Amino acid sequence: MAKNKNIARDLFRLLNADKVLAEPEDRLCYAADATRYFAQRSPDAVVLPETTEDVSRVMKYAFARTIPVTPRGAGSGLSGGCTPIKGGIVLDMKRMNRIVEINLTNLVAQVEPGVVLAHFQRAVEKEKLFYPPDPQSMDVCTLGGNIATRAGGPRGVKYGATGNYVLGLEVVLPDGSVINTGGTCVKHSVGYDLTHLLTGSEGTLGVITRANLRLLPLPPARKTMVAVCETPEQAASLVTEIISQGAVPARLEFLLKSGIGLMNVYLANRLPMTGEAYLLMEIDGLPAQVREESGRIAAICAGMKVLETRVVEDDKEAESYWRARQNLNPILQAIFKRVISEDITVPRDKIPQLVQAMHEISVSLGIPLGLAGHAGDGNIHPTVLLAQVNEETEKKAAQAVERIIRTGLKLGGAISGEHGIGLHKSEFIELELGRTQIEVMKSIKKAIDPKGIMNPGKIWMEEAGL
Amino acid sequence: MSGDLGKYLEQIDKCSHCEFCQATCPSFREELVETLLARSRLLLIKACLIDRELTPSPRFRDIVDGCLMCGRCVEACPARIPVDEVVAAARGELNKGKFCHELRRRALTRFMANRGPDRMIAFAFAIAEKMGLWPPGIPQPVSAPVTGKLSGVVKSRGQERGRVVYYIGCAANSLDPVTARDVVQVFTENGIEVMVPPDLVCCGLPALAEGDLEEARGAVVRNLEILGGLDAEAIITDCSSCGMMLKVKSLSLIPAGHPLRATAEAVSGKVWEATEYLNGVGLSRKPGGLEVVYTYHEPCHRSFSPTMKDAPRALLASLPGSRFSELADPGQCCGAGGTFFLEHRDLSGRIRAKKLEDIKSTGAEVVISQCPACRAYLAAALPGKELLHPLSLLARAYGFRGGG
Ligand SMILES: Cc1cc2nc3c(=O)[nH]c(=O)nc-3n(C[C@H](O)[C@H](O)[C@H](O)COP(=O)(O)OP(=O)(O)OC[C@H]3O[C@@H](n4cnc5c(N)ncnc54)[C@H](O)[C@@H]3O)c2cc1C
Repeated sequence: MAKNKNIARDLFRLLNADKVLAEPEDRLCYAADATRYFAQRSPDAVVLPETTEDVSRVMKYAFARTIPVTPRGAGSGLSGGCTPIKGGIVLDMKRMNRIVEINLTNLVAQVEPGVVLAHFQRAVEKEKLFYPPDPQSMDVCTLGGNIATRAGGPRGVKYGATGNYVLGLEVVLPDGSVINTGGTCVKHSVGYDLTHLLTGSEGTLGVITRANLRLLPLPPARKTMVAVCETPEQAASLVTEIISQGAVPARLEFLLKSGIGLMNVYLANRLPMTGEAYLLMEIDGLPAQVREESGRIAAICAGMKVLETRVVEDDKEAESYWRARQNLNPILQAIFKRVISEDITVPRDKIPQLVQAMHEISVSLGIPLGLAGHAGDGNIHPTVLLAQVNEETEKKAAQAVERIIRTGLKLGGAISGEHGIGLHKSEFIELELGRTQIEVMKSIKKAIDPKGIMNPGKIWMEEAGL
Repeated sequence: MSGDLGKYLEQIDKCSHCEFCQATCPSFREELVETLLARSRLLLIKACLIDRELTPSPRFRDIVDGCLMCGRCVEACPARIPVDEVVAAARGELNKGKFCHELRRRALTRFMANRGPDRMIAFAFAIAEKMGLWPPGIPQPVSAPVTGKLSGVVKSRGQERGRVVYYIGCAANSLDPVTARDVVQVFTENGIEVMVPPDLVCCGLPALAEGDLEEARGAVVRNLEILGGLDAEAIITDCSSCGMMLKVKSLSLIPAGHPLRATAEAVSGKVWEATEYLNGVGLSRKPGGLEVVYTYHEPCHRSFSPTMKDAPRALLASLPGSRFSELADPGQCCGAGGTFFLEHRDLSGRIRAKKLEDIKSTGAEVVISQCPACRAYLAAALPGKELLHPLSLLARAYGFRGGG
């Protein structure tokens, strides 16, 4: 407790009082992210910086005293990434929320890390520009959190994820010094690519205080379609078929009947519950291209004899499908006692095998597995659903998780597509990367953060210390 | 653990920490402090008042009191956790046995029964104003309720198309009688007979917001006994918050098994906000021309009826000569929160400042809204602009000026 009081006292001296929180109530509210069960302890204090200078001051102080610092955006992460498991200081970046510039000629924006993704998207769309990355938490998650986790979403299939849009960063390093990596140009070939080293670094290397993000012209037309499929296998083959025939939807989501049942609450025109699996798609581009591509997809669906293909013409109605999709994960969280969202990604042509394997895991362990995700880019989130949390179900869940991860790797995939490693997957990281690669990463970490104060305990299991 | 709070335990546990309430919670959006967020209020209420892991401190009290009870988090919550009700129950628990609260409670009881201040309360208000405790520009309630003057039946003009019971909100009753008259005028002008029953009391929401469930229930019961016995197609109200109370909150106060449950359900089924009801049945009399630029502020208490916020836009679209200029963020809270602004002047003021900017950039001279608290609170900071109930604007287009 004394430690908490000392840190708070020092921070109050260092910054304006309204930028520091240190009451037990406040600290408790910053202990977790959207995976509640990873919360271990409260931070000693929370700082709400408003400028890069504020961040730099805090880092200099923490560096001198070897105090852990955990950056936090909205706290909507699904890997335990921003949980301060070693205590210390949580740096809540949400007050650094200015959109500094939207440059219409260079198609680039400069933002502070606390800008909420949906606010940013609305601002650029007003200028007829487009920032595609669309994690389903877009109404709350921050651009800083997105960059730090390489967040993605349904649009990954055509437009990639956050990592594809970061051109340059301003970063405060653990010792408080400030660097500017990359720039504002699409081309940049100067030295090591620190921009993309820090992108996805989950707050373990430094604090992102500004970013230059690439923009695209806003596609003028879009259309939403739903294919009602007889079986999950049919839906999975449909994904492969659509893409191999050269149609690339902007969003291509795979859903099971159970998911549709929950989403229907949000739909004026409910979907029939006749299928076992569903594909929810959006086609975008020039009007003629959208007409042609949606026609082609409808023909492929008909050729594969899906039960029904629905084309949603009305924009407002189309929006309701995506809104319903956005709410799916939190609704599951409300129904089940624990929901573990796995994040494996496999090459697209392996989706049918993945779907089959998930079914087998669910049956053999007798545990419900949800399957809803970004099928277009191979990132279907298998979700372990526990109605009760006890020793037995936890053991089963752990077995399920391990088998899901091993299946992803066997199919040539990755253990995380967009959520990052955090605490959630650190025990599996070696399976994918191997010892040598981890050693390389650790030596990078050591070079940038010699005292190990940046978000300690994340990505890989730390040796004791700190 | 209190019985009232205990019954919410299961729902509190449904909070998945998805953080979606960050998108709408006005106190959070203003401060950008997660402690002042719906999900944190649930977490702390559980820790302090149910699990007793933390002792309720002044900071905890601030966090519980710092909720505007707008209910926007409930709308954003995928699990539909009734955060406002949990906060109310927590306030009730914290207020138990507090002397100050007892005084407030007695005053509130009298205010609610009287539907406005009696002499004692009016005196207290006057002193508060003298001491600078009353925010400048906000009118004080007067003790000449309009219900008395309007009660009875006002026949429709021309061919009768329907009959409604009009529940006049307390604000219209004691602060803004013009609105009540406008509602009656506009309805009767459109062939709808209006009956204003005598003896109704406050809807009970002010007591509910304090966590005084007993008092709130008392008000609901009293009103149900009257409203349940009336034969009408609909019960309309000029106030969105009264609408929410009569339509949904009354049902959680009169649970299944309560002798008045069936009445509560029947009454709830008939309740409409006045603009929405009129928009549903349509205008029979065409409004005249009205040269005005206006905008619309959506009241927070709107989710009890998903189409309520569309009604003013649709109904007034036909006003010849007028121009509607949409706010950038029409659904964002104005900071009033019923009477929240009286005790949280700084926070409310900062929330309002954003709304004012938004209003000013529309170029509108008139702002319409179905919430009397929003109107009074915004008007105090918008000299030169008028804040009106949507039906008051319509009344003007019919040529009635200021309650005709
Ligand atoms: C319902 C729901 C749906 C979701 N859907 C998706 C989805 O479709 N796709 C997806 O990718 N994710 C999804 N997520 C996960 C989450 O929203 C994303 O990971 C998001 O990018 C996290 O952003 P945040 O601002 O909440 O960051 P936080 O959770 O606060 O932090 C995430 C990580 O980033 C670090 N960090 C944050 N800000 C900074 C900074 N300025 N500098 C350095 N490090 C920083 C933190 O230390 C932490 O390690 C979902 C979450 C929920 C609750």
